[in-house]
Amino acid sequence: MSPEQQRLVMRALDAAPLVLFALVLAGFGALSPSFLAPANLVNVLVQSSAIAIVATGMTFVLLTAGVDLSVGSIMFVAAAVSGKLLLAQGWPPSLVVAGIIALGGLCGLLNGLLIARLGLIAFIATLGTQYVGRGFGMWLTETRAMNLPEAFTQLASNRLLGVPLPVIVAALVVAAAHAFLMRTPRGRQIYAVGQDAAAARKAGVNVRGVLWTVYVLCGLCAGLGGAVALAQIGSVAPTFGANKEFAAIAAAVLGGTSLFGGRGRVWPGTVFGAVLIQGIENGLNHLNADPYLYPLITAGIIFVAVLLDSARGRLRRTLGRRRIRPD
Amino acid sequence: MASHHPPRTTNHEPRTPWLVRWLGGEHLVLWLVVLSFVGLLPFTPDLASRENLANLLLTLLPLLVLACGQTVVLITGGIDLSACAIMAVASVVGGLAMNGDTGWLTGSPWAAPVGVLLMLAVGAGLGALNGLSVAVLRMPPFMVTLTTMMAGGGLAIWLIRSETIYNLPPAFNALGGRLALATLITVALAGGAHLLLSRTLLGRWLYAIGHNARMAHISGVPVAGVMLAAYVLSGLLAAAAAVLYTGQAETASPLLGQRLLLDVIAATVIGGTSLFGGRGKVLWTLGGVAFIKLLDNSLNLLNCSFFTITMVKGAVVLAAALLDATRCRLLEAEA
Amino acid sequence: MSALLQFEGITKRFGGVPVLRDITLTVEAGTTLGLVGENGAGKSTLMNILAGNLRSDAGRIFWDGRPFAPAGPAEAAAAGIAFVHQELNLFPNLTIAENLFLTRFPRWGRLPWIRRDALGTQTVRWLREVGLEATPETPVERLSAGERQLVEIARALSLEPRLIIFDEPTTSLSDRETRQFFELMSRLRARGLTMIYISHTLDDVLRLSDRVAVLRDGALVAHGPRADFDAARLVTLMVGRSLNQLYPTRACWEQSVPAPAVRPLLEVHGLTQPGVVRNVSFTLHASEVLGLFGLMGAGRSELARMLFGLEPFARGAVQVAGQPLQGNSPRRRLQHGVAFLTEDRREDGLALEASIADNLALVTLRRHARRGSGWLNRSALAEAVRSIRAAVRLTPTARDTAPARTLSGGNQQKVVLGKWLLAEPQVLILDEPTRGIDVGAKFEIYQLIHQRADAGAGVLLISSELEELIGLCDRILVMRRGELVDELRRPDFDRERILRAALHERTAA
Repeated sequence: MSPEQQRLVMRALDAAPLVLFALVLAGFGALSPSFLAPANLVNVLVQSSAIAIVATGMTFVLLTAGVDLSVGSIMFVAAAVSGKLLLAQGWPPSLVVAGIIALGGLCGLLNGLLIARLGLIAFIATLGTQYVGRGFGMWLTETRAMNLPEAFTQLASNRLLGVPLPVIVAALVVAAAHAFLMRTPRGRQIYAVGQDAAAARKAGVNVRGVLWTVYVLCGLCAGLGGAVALAQIGSVAPTFGANKEFAAIAAAVLGGTSLFGGRGRVWPGTVFGAVLIQGIENGLNHLNADPYLYPLITAGIIFVAVLLDSARGRLRRTLGRRRIRPD
Repeated sequence: MASHHPPRTTNHEPRTPWLVRWLGGEHLVLWLVVLSFVGLLPFTPDLASRENLANLLLTLLPLLVLACGQTVVLITGGIDLSACAIMAVASVVGGLAMNGDTGWLTGSPWAAPVGVLLMLAVGAGLGALNGLSVAVLRMPPFMVTLTTMMAGGGLAIWLIRSETIYNLPPAFNALGGRLALATLITVALAGGAHLLLSRTLLGRWLYAIGHNARMAHISGVPVAGVMLAAYVLSGLLAAAAAVLYTGQAETASPLLGQRLLLDVIAATVIGGTSLFGGRGKVLWTLGGVAFIKLLDNSLNLLNCSFFTITMVKGAVVLAAALLDATRCRLLEAEA
Repeated sequence: MSALLQFEGITKRFGGVPVLRDITLTVEAGTTLGLVGENGAGKSTLMNILAGNLRSDAGRIFWDGRPFAPAGPAEAAAAGIAFVHQELNLFPNLTIAENLFLTRFPRWGRLPWIRRDALGTQTVRWLREVGLEATPETPVERLSAGERQLVEIARALSLEPRLIIFDEPTTSLSDRETRQFFELMSRLRARGLTMIYISHTLDDVLRLSDRVAVLRDGALVAHGPRADFDAARLVTLMVGRSLNQLYPTRACWEQSVPAPAVRPLLEVHGLTQPGVVRNVSFTLHASEVLGLFGLMGAGRSELARMLFGLEPFARGAVQVAGQPLQGNSPRRRLQHGVAFLTEDRREDGLALEASIADNLALVTLRRHARRGSGWLNRSALAEAVRSIRAAVRLTPTARDTAPARTLSGGNQQKVVLGKWLLAEPQVLILDEPTRGIDVGAKFEIYQLIHQRADAGAGVLLISSELEELIGLCDRILVMRRGELVDELRRPDFDRERILRAALHERTAA
């Protein structure tokens, strides 16, 4: 392949996530017209708002070539604490939401300490905090399910100007995250660190500070995502938030975020990824597909996204090779 | 310009500080196991009861088999998150084939051996899918085995709709349920893995790839083939663990091993196998497995709740990772 | 005029080997200093000390009359020193503007919010200065190598430094871009900026500099106004290194011994890869040590990697002992009897944490394994390790089980060489086999190279040390910009001719 052809292939691979998204939507739409009805599309958005928020946080971490496996546990701890505060302490819902977010940030600080300060591998550090968090949450809830008062669950069904509140919250988070990544110095430095941490350090970027930032932000998003999911579900079970880290990673990767760092965006990428995952589930529902098949199909689509990502990475390395002659 | 007296070269082998030697020591974990056993004994005398020890051993065996597979993959610098899901699929397929009610092999005298072979084939097949994706398509092991984990978990549930299969052939149940037999099988498998890693061409190649895959490629090691073998082996051992667990429980279930992933990774990492590849031994993993199981068992006997055990295990993983990071830093500072 | 920069007695050693000896040099404010020297003469080391990447062992630097010892690149940059490196240090996933201002974005007051308008206008200003026609929002990965080089220069300029160091800035530039760059340099000079210009293109150095300094073997051998020099004199000054290294002689160089029969072993025809090498053809014979000389970035290592199947080539053919090479994996090359010692010992050559024995045995491991089971014959393996340890004279104090990391550089290199020699290759490609190792180990490696050739193998020896090739080889090929430009037999070896061929000569191109 000539460099020009390689660049063309590169463009095609870059556009692949969006093409995948369009194909899936069109496919479901063709098979079941009710899928594309406005009410159902809004439904998909509502269903995907919690995971979109968590995946936004995950995108920050993936951009630095790290990973956070503890987001599901952070969601659970946040939900457990807020359940306690609502039921036993009688806090007002708005205060509880603020508390949840702060708690998420605190968990993120712990991850930041382990990874940015103590230099652990992100994978194993967050695997450890995942278990510590899950155990802590179960201790708080005494492994019983808690049903939350209506004052709180109402938050999920409220609408503002006709738009469901969870969608508004997700949109605000996405807008803020996008602005942060695109328009602030720290946001741009995240991309530099993910591309090449050593070079970033040489260029004078505070690499440790960037790592702290992404894990704290990821914790904050996990806490908030947990609050949204909690309001939607209305109860805290011991499995609350379980495996959400995988859904979040999948959403980010489906949206074109690279696992090798330095590539990806919250908007449109991660948002589309999150909507795609929920859309598939919703679409299969509309087709009356065997619900047991959902994880298989989701896994298949994620596999394709990862395959495209690694093909892209390899091609990029070929294109980036040093040239000696100006041929 | 000729000389007949080549100048002499000198070389000083640096002395290793004691801390590095101790932290990097081979038997650190085995010592920890003995120490914690002795230390815990006064609080829970039941720990040393014959019954408890037999129980401890019986539950330790399949975990060891599973962890051996993980060790092989970690040595190459990869990871297999799907081992537990593979176990679940193998268990379900075996159950579907062998059960006395609706099984495909019902009544056949060959039900148990064919069932076992079928389970192993499932494990090898799923392992090969992982291996091909990592070695040929060059996808990152973490994501590949993650999707296999999701798909495998889903497949196991889909196959039998979240039910549980009872009425398995007694000959099959004996494999995992009878202590002597299960021990024999485990010793054979772990011993085999040990010999493979330490005494064969494939074993040396696995380490070489984990140390430095580019160097291994340049040195003529068939890197793709060896990586494939590592994941197939991990799949096979996961299936073997499924045979033991399923036999022990006398039921096949898609939920088998759902909570084992952390135990497996924790056991190998605590044992001293490095997540960066190139370092690891079956003997170390044995130490790690014993430690995790002892922790489980003694906390249970101390009437600790499930969530305490989960938290403690998470903390132990973090401690092991910190140890690994400290060790790496000390080695680097020394170099 | 006042001195902006003074080096006073700068000395630096790497592992006991002196690389800079007592350099004393002054750069006047507003002038351009041309710095020339062979590979490894110490130019980069000197500049790295100035830029805060290295510390000198002795001597002082005066910057603007005050003592100056930068602890890191940031401190040097703050003092007003910018360095345009030969290798690019850009982030391809970011835009041009972001690469320029990554750590000092224009903001809205103290808010952490990038002022895009200011970022754009400031970037455009520097891009216009370097003559790059691209918008500030263009991602760097869309740019050609030459354009990226211009971005790197723009980044240096945007720091508004008082001194800029250019290290081979024109290697990846097209002719048009090079002309623009030279115009830029004269504008900068007119504005009173002080510059240090390092290049192998001597005509350019003479044209662009006010004064010229020549380094050889870590010492300053000449320094003066450019009128004192011409290209021929510079070449003469650059070569003729002090003889600090001895070389073994081969028996076949004595007239009494008949020359070995000429049997081609490795035949390369028209090897071409766009952007890397063009139409490379040569033959390596049995019992021959063939040297391949070229300056940094001439494409020597890339050529070697293509021969060993590590990098692709678009056109051309390679034959070993009359058989065309098949497939493109190192394993196949080994089966053809080709071995390749890579340039980067730590990255490609060794498993640093693995034991010495495991490293030595790796290439030939298969020979000691039973077919089918792969069971290793450990006693045969230990015997092979023992024999090769003796053959390469590895230090006896190191145990077989010690990690390769614990060895000195020279002994590490002996391990790498040993693992390949165990395979008894008929074609041995050695890329910089003596880089960074001590004098004694070098001599022993030279002897091993000759032994292998005496045993009938062909050796392709790549080195950036001209003396080493002249001391060891039967024939030398010279490479420049991915092409073979000259070939010399041992009786005709001529340092100046080789160096002239390797240096860029724009007039000839």
